[in-house]
Amino acid sequence: MILLDQNTRGIVQGVTGRVGSVQTKWMVEYGSSLVAGVTPGKGGQTVHGLPVYDTVQETVERHGANASVIFVPAPAAKAAVQMALEVGLKLVVVITEHVPVHDSLAMKRMAQEHGAWLLGPNCPGLLTPSVGKLGIMPGNLFRPGPVGVVGRSATLTYEVAGNLSAAGLGQSTAVGVGGDMVTGSRFLDVLRLFEADPQTEAVALVGEIGGTAEEEAARFIKEMTKPVVALIAGRNAPVEKKLGHAGAIIRGGQGTPQSKVAALAAAGVAVADSPAEVARLVRERLRRD
Amino acid sequence: MMLLEHMGKAELAARGLPVPRGIVATSHDAAYEAAVALGGRVVVKAQIPVGGRGKAGGILRVPNPSAASMAAGSLLYKKLLGHQVRSVLVEERLNIVHELFLGLAVEPGSGRYLALFSDQGGINIEEVAAQTPARVRRLWLDPLQGLPADAARQLAAGLVEEELLPELEKILAGLYDAFRERDAIIAEINPLALLADGRLVAADCRIEVDDDALYRQPQWQTYKQSLLDERERRAQEIGVSYVALDGDVGLIASGAGLGMASLDMLRLAGLEPANFLDTGGGINRELMRRAVELTLYPGGVRGELVNLYGGINPMVEAALGIVDALRAMPRRKPLVVKLLGNRQEEAWAILEAEGVPVVKVVQTEEAAGKLAELLAGVGR
Repeated sequence: MILLDQNTRGIVQGVTGRVGSVQTKWMVEYGSSLVAGVTPGKGGQTVHGLPVYDTVQETVERHGANASVIFVPAPAAKAAVQMALEVGLKLVVVITEHVPVHDSLAMKRMAQEHGAWLLGPNCPGLLTPSVGKLGIMPGNLFRPGPVGVVGRSATLTYEVAGNLSAAGLGQSTAVGVGGDMVTGSRFLDVLRLFEADPQTEAVALVGEIGGTAEEEAARFIKEMTKPVVALIAGRNAPVEKKLGHAGAIIRGGQGTPQSKVAALAAAGVAVADSPAEVARLVRERLRRD
Repeated sequence: MMLLEHMGKAELAARGLPVPRGIVATSHDAAYEAAVALGGRVVVKAQIPVGGRGKAGGILRVPNPSAASMAAGSLLYKKLLGHQVRSVLVEERLNIVHELFLGLAVEPGSGRYLALFSDQGGINIEEVAAQTPARVRRLWLDPLQGLPADAARQLAAGLVEEELLPELEKILAGLYDAFRERDAIIAEINPLALLADGRLVAADCRIEVDDDALYRQPQWQTYKQSLLDERERRAQEIGVSYVALDGDVGLIASGAGLGMASLDMLRLAGLEPANFLDTGGGINRELMRRAVELTLYPGGVRGELVNLYGGINPMVEAALGIVDALRAMPRRKPLVVKLLGNRQEEAWAILEAEGVPVVKVVQTEEAAGKLAELLAGVGR
């Protein structure tokens, strides 16, 4: 397992909000080791058994918090991340969608400066089966086992994990890095952890068209010892509208489904056509090893 | 969302950058007046939010006001590259001796901004970058640090005359401010024109603004609305994203990636999607009712696949919304729901009590196949 294990002591920022509160209940029911919640101005309340504080600082001092999952509205997300990083939390998960790109960039750079892991924004968080979850992944789809799962799109990641579970292939940890253009962590970062994780024997990578994260991942996968199976969603999607030249120059021909499939195949990745095929290919690769 | 050229140039001008003298016109009479005010010889440029205008005939150089009026008349209210031309920019003609390129963009991999400069600007800049990468200089900028004092020198030294560097530095600083203050994802000046008299002028400008930042860029909310068609506007009202496609089967998915995979599965099942609606993470009963209304009610749509995970979305609310939408339909069309996650059993029961076929496994191909079967039964 990676990032989330028995030593995780999680807090929920935005715990008193409509979504934060419901999701806190489900995280607690899944057995996640949450120690507190934070909503500035609402300190002293209790939400689903968790004490609520005004600041992240208090949760570190009183409960030894070391990870946070954030459900605050988009305009408040950057400040919430900063609050968590500045008191030393090393894992910060931002569920919030529609965060402005410039705020996401700032969060990503702040996390790098603090040597912390940032997942999201606009991500489902992560789940280590039978240990716990920080985020919104539906627990009923996951089973413990040897397959690391990492995805950009939240619900497609569930579908792939669900297909793995249905095929009898459990997961070591499932990580959603987030669907936005700029995310705190990318495929590459998470693949490094899976490669080093003794429980993980194979990785399922849930990619999609747009951006260049899959091509970037392919360069690292060449050096990996563990088998990787990938899905690239959107091969039939309408072509992206042409934007500025700068974007095209940066991508340099990357970002298309063809480019992603070619880069991954050249790195020895089995590229599946559907989530069900991901499960079949993972099973094959595990047998072979 | 891409700003129109004149909107982008207004941002540059507001920060002291040199732009051509220009006047926006929405009629051929106004274009005539504008040309008179600018001295007669002008260029008339269609204002549409997309690149490639010049090659598509959207930029016309004319010798006098009458020709400007005719040029405007030939562009206004026509479709160009899929966009209706609602205004033209009438600008003074420039005596350009050389075209440069200057751009700023968000670079997702590094978490930095990327500044780009080339001495080979103009419409073929992408080919230049692909074939002679050394002619496009790159400089990564840390969003936490601001613009280094020598950034223009790092980008352009050796590619342009030394005496242009101070002016280039001012232009880069202004572009950088516009990029940050206006939540741009891309801001580029192409060409950055070197004129015969030695001045640098932003002859064209493209600024792509982050849609998620519009809440703090209220000056562009009306413009954003003007870019949407009727269905997209209704989708935006309920907080979902909607894409029109060419087929005859509706698709709702709770997430873009799942939606794209569902498109693939529908095609494999021999069905062609008419649309794709991504609910995002904000489903409630009313949102779901209106999402079905938007995607299934239109005349050309024969049936629909709804593919949901909760997740962050409440599945019981989703089921209730689907039922509301179906009950309001005088003649129901085939609709298959695949739904898994929180309170799934309750949600399934609500749908099944209404006679809606529910797929309870993780394989979207089963749901797509089920819909194809139902539609085959109905006949074309």
